[in-house]
Amino acid sequence: MSVTQVKRIAISDSPWPWLLPLVSLLVVFTIYPLIYNIWLSFHEFMPRKRALVFVGFANWVQLWHDTRFWGALGVTFVYFTIALACEIVLGMAVALLLDAELPGFGALRAVLSMTLVIPPAIAGMMFLLMEDPQFGVLTYLLNMLGLLDKATPILATSSLALAGVLVAEIWQWTPFMVLIFMAGLRSLPPEPYEAAMIDGASSLQMFRRLTLPMMSRVIAVAALLRGIDLFRVFDYVFVMTSGGPGTSTYSLSLYAWQQTFSFLKWGYGATLSLVSLAIVMILANLFIRAFKVRW
Amino acid sequence: MRIFRTLAGWLVVAFFFFPIFFWTSVAFRNAKDIFSWPPKFFEFEPTVRNFEQVFGISLGFGFGTQETVNPGGGNFYMAPRLWDSIVVASMSTVLAIVVATLAAYCLSRMQFRGRHEFVNWVLSTRMMPPVAVAIPMFFIFKQLNLLDTYLGLILVHGLMNLPLAVLLLKSFFDDIPAEIDESALLDGASRWTIFRRIVLPMAKGGIAASAVLCFIFSWTEFLFALTLTQTGIKTVPVVSSTFVTSIGTAWGNMAALGAAAIVPAFIVVLLVQRHLVRGLTMGSLKQ
Repeated sequence: MSVTQVKRIAISDSPWPWLLPLVSLLVVFTIYPLIYNIWLSFHEFMPRKRALVFVGFANWVQLWHDTRFWGALGVTFVYFTIALACEIVLGMAVALLLDAELPGFGALRAVLSMTLVIPPAIAGMMFLLMEDPQFGVLTYLLNMLGLLDKATPILATSSLALAGVLVAEIWQWTPFMVLIFMAGLRSLPPEPYEAAMIDGASSLQMFRRLTLPMMSRVIAVAALLRGIDLFRVFDYVFVMTSGGPGTSTYSLSLYAWQQTFSFLKWGYGATLSLVSLAIVMILANLFIRAFKVRW
Repeated sequence: MRIFRTLAGWLVVAFFFFPIFFWTSVAFRNAKDIFSWPPKFFEFEPTVRNFEQVFGISLGFGFGTQETVNPGGGNFYMAPRLWDSIVVASMSTVLAIVVATLAAYCLSRMQFRGRHEFVNWVLSTRMMPPVAVAIPMFFIFKQLNLLDTYLGLILVHGLMNLPLAVLLLKSFFDDIPAEIDESALLDGASRWTIFRRIVLPMAKGGIAASAVLCFIFSWTEFLFALTLTQTGIKTVPVVSSTFVTSIGTAWGNMAALGAAAIVPAFIVVLLVQRHLVRGLTMGSLKQ
């Protein structure tokens, strides 16, 4: 192709010259790995032969009988549900509280955005230290309030470990919700509130009848984006508990990762990651349909 | 009422700020002040030794004694690792922004069949769980000798940020009236000229904001960096997870690295605070 021909294509109104770099990169990043992953899921690494061997549907059958997989799925769902509910409710409460022109509130919003630039792996470490049974400040405070025995290692107690991880998650991402909800609240029209005020509506009524319906799109977008990330939780459980004690904090992503890289079950790990992909895709698309989220 | 609300607001934010404050203070502590019960909040002897160990430098000043070494601390000399993070995050940002700007302009201005479906496809790539990409990528990279290289991690982080960058930049371009393009087209300007001379300068602020967000997401990313690198390069989140050793955890060093990793990122975020919400929601909410 000559230089002039390249130029002519570049200035024409065809979308392809503009989209080509994006499309080729996305194919490399999504479609090729996806095909490779599906191929892997029908193979398994045999340490004795030091090679991948075709095993047919064995990995998929194994999945069905694997109690640890169902356990990981359960943990992921519990984590997802609790974290999303807490983050939406707390986020809305804090957003409503800070949605006012009061002294210092501008600076407070900036402080809230600080949590978003902390790598989740480091945030997990912060809470690992704070939840230490011997010198953790969170353990100390809970102990002072009489909610916890001094000797209790939160992250090594199977009934408390998931809660210990969730604290880090909710701490880091509630501000994300607060910032989004505050932006939504600020864009609401004032007229309906003025009318409701004249009619003598209580603030609770105004919240339920006006704020919530008008904010539904904002809430849906925030829930979708956060929900996608919550379902693939990895960083916090990896650094804080590595899935333990026992399997009480195994998330689906962590299980897939460990099967692949710790136990060298390459095919099974790929199968697990495909299941995780399928679930996220189906749930996200159902959500997008149900709440009519659009970009 | 006003005073109560102000007070409540400050209290809530103090609650969210506390872990950051506490962690930063750990960075300035000696071992005996980290491992104490009851935990100390303010009453400790400050030291910069953790920073000196992590960055392999002598600050040449300090408060009080500098003798105590953290158990398990050793010398975690991390300056090259910080450099790895800077290279990967900035180069992957350049990659994502260049590719996304072209595509976003096209998606914002040109009508073609399947445009809506195309946007949905871009969005759907944002939903892929990292682990479902990291596992095949590990084997693909192994064959291509891209494991443990800057290029490999830059590619993956850049690609990871593409959906965000495309949708966000599209929303910024949508804000520039299309009439400007049309009148320039009538005057005989090409699409490329309009893009370069008119749209790019007008969207400067939006492009900067998108770049900052891509940078932050690469800076904080853990799973890809953990999977696709071994010893050659390591980013800050991966390094910090290695501070847990069999003889103990180097909390002071880790906190110093963490504090050093947060501060620059936070300053950058403050610069684009106006666009932050729009970026977090990939342009679907305007502020």
